[in-house]
Amino acid sequence: MPQPKPDLHAILDLDRTVHEPARLAILTVLSAAESVEFLFLQRVTGLSKGNLSSHTQKLEAAGYLETLKAFKGRIPATSFRITEDGRAALQTYHRQLRALLPKEGKP
Amino acid sequence: MTTPDLDALAALTRDYAAFQARKSGLATALGGLAALLLALAALSPRFMGATFMGRMVVEYLVWVPLVWLGLKGALGRGLYRKLGSVVAAPDVRYERRRWFWILGLALFLIVVLLSAVYAFSQGFFQANPARAALCPPPLWILAMPPLYLLATPWAVRGIEEARVYAVLVGQSILWLIPLFLFSFAPTVPPRSGWGSFGNAAGIGLLVLIGTIQIWGALAMIRGWKEHREYLAILRSLPRVQEG
Repeated sequence: MPQPKPDLHAILDLDRTVHEPARLAILTVLSAAESVEFLFLQRVTGLSKGNLSSHTQKLEAAGYLETLKAFKGRIPATSFRITEDGRAALQTYHRQLRALLPKEGKP
Repeated sequence: MTTPDLDALAALTRDYAAFQARKSGLATALGGLAALLLALAALSPRFMGATFMGRMVVEYLVWVPLVWLGLKGALGRGLYRKLGSVVAAPDVRYERRRWFWILGLALFLIVVLLSAVYAFSQGFFQANPARAALCPPPLWILAMPPLYLLATPWAVRGIEEARVYAVLVGQSILWLIPLFLFSFAPTVPPRSGWGSFGNAAGIGLLVLIGTIQIWGALAMIRGWKEHREYLAILRSLPRVQEG
């Protein structure tokens, strides 16, 4: 019996902004809270400051998160919040990935 | 970075955010311990005796809720925010449950405070019958429940963590009742109505003390469990990349 061919278009349709592991982790963390401070995001993802900044900038440019600047006394504190677009992109990505993956028990 | 377990990441974030929204860890345990000590102090004959209350006990009763409240904030900032601030996503079910709890607590407070005020005025007027004639009719007491009902839920809601605040409220009630009730009762010979009210209040107080002891013990266990949860969160964090 011939094996079904993988739907290459479906794989190529994956949102690459979300698909990158670090950005996927960032969006996942943000989706679980109202807002998240930079320090927590760094500690929970294990990324360096530079790496994290670079990824959050890309996500912000895509409209998936917004940056919140505040001061704790004199110390600046940067927090992030996922946008509605970001949440929708994450959900779409999960849905697409689940459709692409083989079902339980099948190779 | 290693491939993240996305569910674990989301769960970790929610758990950490819970410490800033509703969990107090060691502060809960300390609140429970304070409530237990307070209940034990309240059971001592000297404390229950109406003639004189030991200065230390009274000071403890007055200050411990306030000290604990300050300590709760300090512990929260010092112990449970090391990884920065995370604001929890709104949880409708939790909010609804919390409002039920707050309203229940407010009703309980209203009953206890009104009883205390009633007992205080009874004792006061029995001790000073001449003043009773100068006072307005006791109907004004009827206006108090709606007044309390207007203010109390919002006051309770003002404190972030209603469950832990309940320990504080329990403590406050415990020292309010003896202060208002028992300091008057033995000096005044019981008259009609007062004796049965005094007995009921005494039984109520004993039930309250028992409840607070159980409450305190449960708070200690819960606080310790929450603290261990927090330590587990810290242990599960990945190593941060250099650079």
